[in-house]
Amino acid sequence: MKKKVLSVLLCAAMAAGMLAGCGGDDKASTDDANKPAASDADGSAAGKKFALVTKSAGNPYNEKEAEGFQQAIESIGGECIIKHPESATADAQVSVIQSLISQGVDSICIAANDENALQAALEDAMAAGIKVSCLDSKTNAASRMTFANQAGTTEIGQALMDAVYDIAGGEGDWAILSATSQATNQNAWIDAMKDIMENDSKYANLNLVEVAYGDDEPVKSTDQTQALLSKYPNLKVICAPTTVGIAAAAKVLQDQSSAVKLTGLGLPSEMAEYIGDDDAHSCPYMFLWNPIDVGRLGAYISAALVDGTITGAAGETFEAGDMPNSPYTIVDAGDGGTEVILGAPFKFDPTNIEEWKTVY
Amino acid sequence: MAGKSGRTIDATPKDVWKKNILSWEGMLVILFLLINIFCRCISPNYTMANVLREMPKYLSEIFLLFPMAYILMLGEIDISVGSTVCLSATIACIASNAGIPFPIVIVLTILTGAICGMVNGFILVKFPELPSMIVTLGTQIVFRGIAEIILGSGGSVSVTNTAGFRAIAGKIGPFPYIFFLVLISGAVFIVISIKTIFGRSLYAIGSNSRTSFYSGIKVKKVKFIVFTLMGIFAAIAALFLTSSLYGANTTTGNGFEMDAIAMAVFGGIATTGGKGRLIGGLISAFIIICLRIGLGQINMNPQVILIILGALLICAVLLPNVSAGLKLKKKS
Repeated sequence: MKKKVLSVLLCAAMAAGMLAGCGGDDKASTDDANKPAASDADGSAAGKKFALVTKSAGNPYNEKEAEGFQQAIESIGGECIIKHPESATADAQVSVIQSLISQGVDSICIAANDENALQAALEDAMAAGIKVSCLDSKTNAASRMTFANQAGTTEIGQALMDAVYDIAGGEGDWAILSATSQATNQNAWIDAMKDIMENDSKYANLNLVEVAYGDDEPVKSTDQTQALLSKYPNLKVICAPTTVGIAAAAKVLQDQSSAVKLTGLGLPSEMAEYIGDDDAHSCPYMFLWNPIDVGRLGAYISAALVDGTITGAAGETFEAGDMPNSPYTIVDAGDGGTEVILGAPFKFDPTNIEEWKTVY
Repeated sequence: MAGKSGRTIDATPKDVWKKNILSWEGMLVILFLLINIFCRCISPNYTMANVLREMPKYLSEIFLLFPMAYILMLGEIDISVGSTVCLSATIACIASNAGIPFPIVIVLTILTGAICGMVNGFILVKFPELPSMIVTLGTQIVFRGIAEIILGSGGSVSVTNTAGFRAIAGKIGPFPYIFFLVLISGAVFIVISIKTIFGRSLYAIGSNSRTSFYSGIKVKKVKFIVFTLMGIFAAIAALFLTSSLYGANTTTGNGFEMDAIAMAVFGGIATTGGKGRLIGGLISAFIIICLRIGLGQINMNPQVILIILGALLICAVLLPNVSAGLKLKKKS
């Protein structure tokens, strides 16, 4: 008897829940119907909802990207929604994407936690007419329209090569301290540097003695730096295009007051105490991308997708507000999809490191 | 009615309307209604179509609730289910990528889950002095470790042949298949727990394992069956999870065990064993899902949502104790 009553109650509750739901359905669909008409009338971003999904809450790098995204969206008059998933997993991002579809946003820009796992959810979103793009870390080609890539391979290779040239004084021995020998991004950057060195006589007097692998472990990176120092007494510069490697090498060089100088890609917060022009500091300057600009680029891509300026196909161009490299061109990403490259990496030197070390 | 366990142990028969509405489950139903009205008020997008579309991802966790409730009724706990989900999902993806027909993929996945469950069950039955919390903590690490080895250095695998997974993610009208499957399996588990000898023995063992043993209940057999069931349902959850993620990685299923335990406890099933009814767990699962969807739609910070759910859980555990205390006062 009790169970029967309970089940009746349960059914009633379900029915009520459904009814409550149905009430709103018509309204939602008419809203949808009105939307395209409104957007045709004026191409502006006013009244449009632009969502950014980060990797997780409390990720300072992502939060800077979100800041840039928000600035740019507000500058063009759109409504900005920043969503942090409850954990740094694709699973949590799926819930967030589904929720955004329900809200009827106009675009979703996402820093993916997994290349492939978001495909079902993002396909749902695109089927619902939402413009999907990625920034920071991409999804597979089928789940996005385009991607705001912070790190163009050739741009990074060129910046690092110029830094080595500059710090070494145009000639001498230098070495690379990388992460693991299989890391795709590391190898792409190293290959780009080698290419530039071989094809431009400007760098002819530079001699790359070794590519060492510290496996992105602080201890191993330290050992590898020591080994480089003892093996090559004439070494002038070490270039470490990895945040773990550069921090480990910076400490070794600075502790030993070595004459060898360092550059590469590093986190300002970790590298602040090593950056300086004098002999007491081991790293004159280094690079990384500017997360605020990554966010802004993501925002302008979303806006251009929503107002129909671009569809995400290679070769299309769009204006990105007051960003330095605007207008940007969409290029082939080599994975079957397309991307937009932010530009040269951002330089951290003694003049700006104090400001950035608290950022990320 | 004596011997049948509810949230509150009460000698008087409770088969009257008033009592039912005032029971824990009645309260949950009312809470469910209130939550739905609340969500409808705060979010204009809280419509049936949207809720049903967002639901499948959450629904897969409910599969874990049913056997978890049985385990809690036994006075045991299983914190390895998240890892079982991870391992089963990994096997499902790899088997599917190897070109194996989808029905066999399903069988393999469920077999993987069943083996994980049997390992737990076997250890607990062979060494009854070991606490299940510690044993399943061990297997939690082991199962995820195996999954990580299979996944290799990338830590992630994607389904290349998604046809089968797309098929099970299908819908009848606005209702996804998983919705019906959850309700059907929920009904079966509820009926087993209240109408069968097996169900009674769950409560008996949870109340007093030794007495149950002396009264002829095959305690070890029941335990083994329940833990195996847990593994099987973890695999079913993994299949549906894969149908929305098209892949598995080392974080798949993280924290699912705690979500399932939370749903059960919220529903009035005591972790000390022998108490509670599964229907409460099922209703509370829907309460939690609806609340998450509703609050998610107004873009509330997910950490705040977690805090709200945590606070609700503590209230849920606290309330029966407080009301029991009040009743005692009234009587005396």
